[in-house]
Formats: sequence, C-alpha cells, structure tokens
Amino acid sequence: MNDQSRVTLTIDGTPITVPKGTTLYQAAKRSGIEIPIFCYHDRMPPLGACRMCLVKVEKMAKLQTSCTLEALEGMVVDTTTPEVKSGQEAILEFLLINHPLDCPICDKGGECPLQDQTFKFGPGRSRFVEAKRDFAKPVSLGPVLVLDRERCILCWRCVRFGEIVAGDDALKGFERGFHSEINTPFTLPVRSKFIGNTIGICPVGALTAKSYRFIARPWDNQPVQSTCTLCGVGCAVEFDVRGGKITRTRPYEDPAVNDVWLCDLGFFGHTFVHHEGRLRRPLVRREGGFAETTWDDALALIASRLERSSGPRVAMLGGARLTNEDGYVATRFFRSVVRTPHLDHRVDALARGPDLRMSWGMTTAIEDLARADCLLLVGCDITETYPVIWLRMKQAVDRGAALITVGTRSLEIKPSVRWQFLHRRTHGAEVMRALGESVRGSPPRGTVEDIDREVIAAAAAALGAASRPVVMVGREAMDAPDGWEILLAAGEICRKIGVALNVMRGKGNAYGASLAGILPDAAPGGRPLEEAAAELRNLWGEVNEGSGMTAPEIIEAAAAGGLDVLYVAGADPANDVPDRERWRAARARVPFVVVHDAFLSETAQSADVVLPALVAAEKDGTVLSIEGRVRRVRAAAQGPGEARADGTIFAALAARLGKTMGYSSWEEIFNEMRELIPGLALDGRMVSRHPPMDAAPDMGRAWIQDAQGYPFALILGDVLFDRGALMARSPTIADLAGEPWALIHPDDAATLGTVEGDSVVLSSRRGSVAVRARFSASIRPGEVYLPRGYDAAPANRLVDAREPLTYVQVRVLVPATT
Amino acid sequence: MGARRVRKYLRQGFAMLKGMAVTFRYLFRPPITVMYPEQKRPAVQPRFKGRHWLTLYEDTMERCVGCELCVIVCPSQAIYVKAAENTPEHQVSKGERYAEDFQINELRCIFCGLCEEACPTGAIVLGREYELAGYTRESMIYTKPMLTEPYPGASGRDPKREV
Repeated sequence: MNDQSRVTLTIDGTPITVPKGTTLYQAAKRSGIEIPIFCYHDRMPPLGACRMCLVKVEKMAKLQTSCTLEALEGMVVDTTTPEVKSGQEAILEFLLINHPLDCPICDKGGECPLQDQTFKFGPGRSRFVEAKRDFAKPVSLGPVLVLDRERCILCWRCVRFGEIVAGDDALKGFERGFHSEINTPFTLPVRSKFIGNTIGICPVGALTAKSYRFIARPWDNQPVQSTCTLCGVGCAVEFDVRGGKITRTRPYEDPAVNDVWLCDLGFFGHTFVHHEGRLRRPLVRREGGFAETTWDDALALIASRLERSSGPRVAMLGGARLTNEDGYVATRFFRSVVRTPHLDHRVDALARGPDLRMSWGMTTAIEDLARADCLLLVGCDITETYPVIWLRMKQAVDRGAALITVGTRSLEIKPSVRWQFLHRRTHGAEVMRALGESVRGSPPRGTVEDIDREVIAAAAAALGAASRPVVMVGREAMDAPDGWEILLAAGEICRKIGVALNVMRGKGNAYGASLAGILPDAAPGGRPLEEAAAELRNLWGEVNEGSGMTAPEIIEAAAAGGLDVLYVAGADPANDVPDRERWRAARARVPFVVVHDAFLSETAQSADVVLPALVAAEKDGTVLSIEGRVRRVRAAAQGPGEARADGTIFAALAARLGKTMGYSSWEEIFNEMRELIPGLALDGRMVSRHPPMDAAPDMGRAWIQDAQGYPFALILGDVLFDRGALMARSPTIADLAGEPWALIHPDDAATLGTVEGDSVVLSSRRGSVAVRARFSASIRPGEVYLPRGYDAAPANRLVDAREPLTYVQVRVLVPATT
Repeated sequence: MGARRVRKYLRQGFAMLKGMAVTFRYLFRPPITVMYPEQKRPAVQPRFKGRHWLTLYEDTMERCVGCELCVIVCPSQAIYVKAAENTPEHQVSKGERYAEDFQINELRCIFCGLCEEACPTGAIVLGREYELAGYTRESMIYTKPMLTEPYPGASGRDPKREV
C-alpha cells in the first residue's frame, strides 16, 4: 500500500504524507503550521545558519533545525512544546543581542521578518545589558545598495542569492564570528544586475535601497499590481504608490515568468515616471521655438495637415512603448482614418539584415528554460538584454545543461558557459555553419576562427543529443554583416534538432506592437492582410489593406521627399534608427512631423508638434511579452499635466477627421482585438511563427574591406543600464550606467597609449562620439565594443547603414595643458 | 383615599423636595462656570490633552525621527509625515532620519493621545492649549513650523526627559 516515494509523519499530532525528500519545514508549511525562519529561502537550498526553525523530533536528543532535516517515515514532530518555545526564544534573544532595534528609523520596519518573529515567537525581554556592537553606518555599496552592518543577523541569504540564483557573486561574507560582516569583493561598488532582490530577501533592514531610503513606510504604500515594460520579458511587478507617486517597485510572484525575482532595471528604472521634465502640455513649433498650446489647437493643426495630404504620403513610426490597445487604435487610425499602409514599429531595424523578415520573440516558454538540457546562444548577451531570463537559464545550467555561446565577445555569464566560441565580427556564419555541419553529421577536421573543429563537434554532439535544447539568436548576430547567414545556419541547426528558433530581439512592447498590427505587411495578430481585409472593413469601415513600407523604407522615402506627414508615437527614431545621418536627411525633407512622447526627446526636439503622452505605468491595458504572453498593466499613477494616452489622442484626431473611434475602456478595445486575433486571451500565449527562411541575399565578401585609417571594427550592443531618453531620467539607472563608454582590448589600448577611464574619441567616416575607455580582454584586438542607448554618445552617429560593417579609429583626448 | 395612596404622595413629594434641596443649595453658592472667553481658568487638569507639540531635546535637536508610528496608530488619520535623511551639514535630529514634513489636521484629531503613546522618542505630545479654532479649514492643518515648540521646554515638557 505504502508508496515508496512518499512518507507519512506526524506534525503537532496531525499525520501528513509528503513526497520523499521534503524537509520538515516544508512539510509543516503544507499542513498550515508556521515555523519561524530567517536563513531559509524556498528558492535556495537549505543552509541551517540562523537556527530559528528549531523543532522537537521524537527520539532525537536535541532540538533539530526543520529546514535542513528531511521528513522520514513515522517521524513524530512537535513545533509548540515548551522545549521548542524556549529554544526559539533563546535564538531570538541571541539574534537581538547585537541588533540595534532602531526599527523607528529602519526602512524595513513594518515589513520586517525579525520584527514579526520577535513579536510572535520572542521572549519579549532581553537579559543582556551589555553594550551592543557598534559599526559605522550606513555603508554605501554602490549606486543602489546601503548596508547597515549593525542590523545584519548573518543569515547569508544575500550572499547565497549571488552564488546560487544570479551567479554573479556580488556580495560575500568577511571575517569570522563576532566580526563577521557582509561586503562586496575587494569592497568595490556592487557589480550585479540583480542586487535589488537581495534587498527584498534580507530578513532585516541590513540591506536597503538608496532610492527608497526613508521615502515611505509599508503602511503608506498602496500596491498596484502591473507589468514591467522596460525590457520585454514582462515581469510581474507591484508598484508601491504613496500620494500618487511610485515609491518603489517590487517583484510580484509569477511562477511562469519572473518567479519571485526582478532585475535592477525593473527595481529602479521606473523613477522617470515622476521626472520633472515630463511633458505636460502640447507643444507647437512657432518661429523656431516651441510654444505651449491647448489640445484643441494642437489637434486641429494636425488634423488639417493630415486632411491636406493624401493617405499614402503619411507614415507612422514607433509603437514599442504603447500598450496593445493603444497600438491597435493606432493601427486602426492609420489604416482606416488616414488610410496609409506605411506604419512600422521596428524603428531600430536594419534594412539589409534579417530583422525585417523574422517575427521577433521567443517560441520557448520562459518557464521551460529551466528544464532545458542544452542552450545555444548566438550573438545574444542575455544578461544585458533580458536579464530575468538568464535566472531561468542559470537553473538549467545548475542542473547540468550545457551552455554554448557563439559571439564576438566573452559574456558576463562566462563562468557558466561550457563552450564559448568567439569569432571575428565578420566570421560568425562560418562558426555557425561548422556547428551545424557537426550536428548529426561527420565533422571535418581543421579549425574555424582558431577554434578546433573537434571542440565544435563536441558542442554539436551535446546539442544533437539534447532532448530539450533551446536555440536563441540575439540582435548582435542579426545585425552582423553576415547576419542572414548566421540566422540561416541557426535555422538549419534548429531544423536538425527539431526545435523552433528564439529571436531575442525587440524592447518594451515591440511584440504587442506587432500583435496590434503596427506592421506594413500584416494585419493585427500577424495575419496576412488579404485574409483579414474583409473583417477589418467590417469592423473599421474603409481600410487601406495594401502592403506598405517598412521603417527603413519609410525613412528613405522621407529623405527622398515622398512624405507629407511623419507621425512618431512611442519611439525616438533619432536615437533608435541604425544610421542617424539618414534620419537627419529624412527629417529635413518631411514638412510636418508629429511626435507623441513623455519627454522632449531628440526626435521631439526637431518635431513640429509634440503631444504629451502617458507612459505604461500610467495606463490600463495589456502588453505582450517576449514569449508572447498577454500581460496586464495597471495605472499606478496619474499622468502629469494634460498628458493623454496615445489611444485617446488617436481617437480624438479621428473625431476631427470625421470618423468615430469610440472606445470607452481598454477592455472594449481588447475585446475587439479578440474578434480579429484568434487565440488572444488574458495571460494566454501568442507564440510567434517565423516565416520560412529563404536563401540569404548574396552579399559576397566585398565588405571585408581594408579600411584605411580606420583600423577597428565596431561592434554595437545593447546594455541593461543606459542613458537613453527614459533611463537618463531614472537617477539610479543613470548612476549605474555611468558615462558613455567603449570596450577596447588591452593590447590595442597599449598601442594607443590610453589609460583606463581616459576620454577617447571614436570616429568613423560618418561621425564621431566621445566616450570613456574601458579595457577588457573579453573582446578581440582590432575590435571596439560600443553600447547603444547613451544619448550623449549615440552609436548611430558612427554608422552608415549601407555599409555592412563600420570601421572606426580611436583617438585619445589629451587633456589640454596650459 | 386609602392610607397607601397618601404614603405614596408623601414619598414622591419628599423626593421632589430632596432634589430641590440640592438645587437650592447650589443656588446660593458661587458659580463654577466662568465667563469664557473674557474670563479663563488658571489651568486645565494635569491629564488634559490639548494641541500637539513636536518637542525638542535640550540641545534643540528635534526628537522626531520621522518614523510614522503616530501616522499608523492615529484612529482618525489626521497625521501626515514625510521623512528625509540627516546629513552632517544638516543634522536635524539624532540618528539618520528626521521628519522633513509633519502635518496634523487638528479638525480631524479626536485628541485620544495614541500618537503620544506610540511615539518612540517622546517627540509628539499633547499640550495644554485648548483654544483651537480658525476661520478656514486650511488654517487648522498645523504644519511642522507651527507644531515644533519654539524653544526646548516651551510645550511644558521637561526637555531632559528620556522619552
């Protein structure tokens, strides 16, 4: 009768059956019995450091720690006997010997496990009259974290988080016994993308956030459950709101997406919402400058310009910052009111690469990544682009999954990588083809990019033998000169091992913009236009169901004088487009540019009308995550001044153009979208299907040029912490991002005679940017890595999008001596 | 008329006289009521709870550390506190934290004294003053400069006390 995999034990007189291997603490938790804990966290293995979870087990001489003891058949456990009670009281009395009890000024006060457990299980008084341990406080550990060593009870949760969950070893324990303290290795500022989580799991107020220091008490905060839209993973968050302002952001438990974690961008990146520079009233260009005006005037002006120009001479760019509903209203507005087919959210796409041919997003569910047994990352810097996804991959790696990376740089996650194949910027396709040939094929001998093909064959064998492999291709690979070929080779590998490709591309709600139909060649839901045309006419009335121009084509058409009105919503093309010179040319030839934005961004500064828009944290609706999950966003704050949601603006414009788009709520729009898009449901998944890939256009090898005077190949990448229009206004993120920088190989640096931290100027034939030099052997000599997203050093100033590869020269700025 | 009935009327009449005796007794005493506001009593009872004061230490440091315990304990939600961090150049209270803003809506307050009881530093006290009236609602929201006692001990509390 008795199942071998289950055990039955008695806790506080109640029999309970649990799977074998369950700890006593978990067994008690299941039967609703509370045992106090500090060091144990259920996303990490038990440790037994704090001794708080003591229980009495029959036939065992002493009290046992229930978090480490495995439940066995027939065990009789007591959690409330006087012996256990006195044990718990003694432990709490010990913990409080040196705890300063400065709860009134501690940010954790009111939501502190130590406070709560002491109240519930503690003795109520202490016998210690001696002076408490006295440390200097508070200690700053980087731009985010504040450490109060007096409060620390040495549970090691934060240290183990860095070791086990994030893998970045950001915090460590130093000294012994009475002198033990937490600090960073070499007492440098914390280097981590997940350090906000340690603030959340700290059971006392030892680790607190600088951005939340003394801002609010737990009882001041009104939690609003929403979704973070800063990167695209779609983590569930809770905005704590006090007096209409977001005081902090915390992860909201969602086992399918972010579990209980969040990255630092999510934790600290939402402060731009309340930045004083938010646009409050519509701006209209008058005599060279901007003048504030009323919505009536601004809308009337736009409507008259739209009325005067025929539909196809109007184009729309952007959409990644809109909600699905706003995006849908935008699609309807441009396709059926303005009647133009030229709308595209892929502002940052390259015309020559595979960007515009692939649908962006993941086919694998984020949840399933933890169960993968082989992971192939191609040109995908996962921690810089979609950090929370890395936490899942880390779980898979810890379970023995092989992690293979192909790219130009050695990544931050290198310690977890089994095979790392580095290649020159121009030769990624060769490595990928070699890998593909070796997957279920006979490997030829020799080397590719100095990599022994036998090593590639070993990685390929792991990939071929895996039962749940995952292949991800990132933006760096797609933007490479041979991006097409890399993608084809990756597709070939996927076909051989029978999985679908994950295209790790797109920021914010780019996936929702695709879903809503902000694409020149697809109807909402990615459906072919001809197929959906009848339904669209039915719902919207007259519709332009033709195929339009893609974002790069729109910019070219504008530069050629083919547009009357360019409409930009939820994007900053001046900084986003790959080639700024082309944007300038386009802007100069378009007579009328309208921009919806929260701030006076680079693009907005050159616009004719700027309309103040709400941001995601101020809107109700849905967004689509990178894995195609429909996620709810809820308004946590009211917008500043007269700012309006993009959907509302389009509806108001439609009314002025004589068409009614009457939606009273986001639900109404969502329900209309459900009529058009089969399978759309809240919390459902819309998995993107990739169109079949045909052969890559033959680009030859002409682009491997001898760039005289420009010796370095430029590699561009996305980084988590940048100083773009939004993040420059989130002070913590701007601090983390620092000044614009570029990576240079130490050998090159020696030749150039630079010192780390020097100002250097990168110049191409197109332009130049000034950045701080950082040295790293993670890139190859002869290549320079420049992050995108710094408005002060826009990478697109260097790029000529017609050239497959940009070459730059590096000059050291010698400080002027007087 | 039966004897029982006579006894009843007598008893009732006597009770009335007894009551009137009390009235008459007080009629010839000096009155307790005073002609407020022309005339005022010298002091209220020692446990009287009047307007709030934010008290100071002897060295003029603010006692309040902005912990907001008064906010959460207040049954009529009359208190608003916004905390900030002390800096060496701008040390307002002892420790790291002080109240940057402190407001009490005296119209909402029910003078229960729970804030005083909850305060871990003895910063907020209910004083003697009971003349709390104003011509506008706004004037009855006491701000931090109005609440802070002008000099240590001005509220009547010993600035040397511990809590």
